[in-house]
Amino acid sequence: MTETIDPRQKILAANAEAAAALRTGFAAAGTLVLNLISSPGSGKTTLLEATTRRLRERLRLGCIEGDIATERDADRLRALGIPAFQILTGGACHLDARQVHRALDEAAFPPLDVLFIENVGNLICPTSYDLGEDFKVALLSVTEGDDKPFKYPAIFARAGVTVITESDLLPYTSFDLEAVRRQAATLNPDGVLLVTSTRSGEGIDGWCQVLEDRLAVKRSGAA
Amino acid sequence: MHELSIAQEILSNVRTALEPYPEARLERVRVAVGELTAIEPELLRFAWEALLEGTPEAGCELDVEWRPATQHCAACGVPKTRPPRGWLPLCGDCGGPLRVDGGQELDLLQVSFEVPDREDRDDRDD
Repeated sequence: MTETIDPRQKILAANAEAAAALRTGFAAAGTLVLNLISSPGSGKTTLLEATTRRLRERLRLGCIEGDIATERDADRLRALGIPAFQILTGGACHLDARQVHRALDEAAFPPLDVLFIENVGNLICPTSYDLGEDFKVALLSVTEGDDKPFKYPAIFARAGVTVITESDLLPYTSFDLEAVRRQAATLNPDGVLLVTSTRSGEGIDGWCQVLEDRLAVKRSGAA
Repeated sequence: MHELSIAQEILSNVRTALEPYPEARLERVRVAVGELTAIEPELLRFAWEALLEGTPEAGCELDVEWRPATQHCAACGVPKTRPPRGWLPLCGDCGGPLRVDGGQELDLLQVSFEVPDREDRDDRDD
C-alpha cells in the first residue's frame, strides 16, 4: 500500500536552525556580521585588508575565511593584526552555518565589533546558506563584465550591499556601471550599491561608513 | 555544484519524516525549487540519483517543481511576462522600475512510500 505524507518544510531547515542560533549569539555580543560572496579573484580579501587598515584602530575586527585549500587569506589578515580563522572545505563550494559554528568554537575570538565571513570564491553555491549574518555582501570586479547581476540573480537579489571593485580599471574596460546599477536595482530595490577601488581609494570611506552605521543600528536595536 | 549538499539535506529530512514508518520503502519525493535559490533541477536530480546508489532508498524518484520568480511594475502594479530565465529591465508600459517576487522556495513537499500490509496490525486497530 502506498502512503504519502506532506512535510511542507524547508529543505535547509537544519542550516536555518544553526544560523538562527549563531544570529542570537551575535546579537547578544553586539557583533555585526557580514557574509562576503563573489567569484574567485573579485577582491574580497583585498577589500578586507583595506577595511582593516581603516578601521582597526576604532573597531575590534575578526575574520573567518572559507577556502578549499591554503591558509593564505587568513594569513593576509593576521599580518594586519586582526584575529582570523581559516576554514578549509577540502573541495566543498560553500560554507554552511554548522561550519561557522565549529570555527567560532575553535577560534575562540575575543569580543568583536565586526566579524567578516569571507565565503569560498563562488557566485552561486554560497548564496543558499544562511550563516547568521546581518547581511550578505556581493562583490563584482569590473573585469568580470556588466551582465553579472542578471546572469547570477540569486546572489544579487539577496545581497544587502553590492560592492563594485577595481573601479580604477573602468576606463580600460567596456563595463557599463549604469547597466549594473539598473540590474541590481531591479533584482533588489532595497540593496545598496557601492563603487570602490582599493588602489585609488574610491569608495572605501563610504564602505567603512556603511559598516559603522549598520553596527550603530544593530547596537541601538539591542539596547 | 552544491546540489549534492542539497540532495543530502533532502534525504536527511525524508529519513526523519519516515522514522514513524520503519518498514516504509521510499518511492517518490517531491520538492519545490525556486528560481532564485541557485539550484539547478537537472543537477539536483542527478545528485539525488548518485547519492541514493547503494542505499536502501535507491531508485526513489525525485520530482522537482520549478517555481519561477515573477516581475511586476512597482508603479502600475501590473505583472509582466518575462522571457524564460531572463529579466525585464524596466516596465514596458510606463518605463518605471520593476520588482521581483518569489522564486525563493526550497521546500520538501511530499514523500510517497510503500508500507507492507499488516493484517495483525489491522486486527489490533479494530
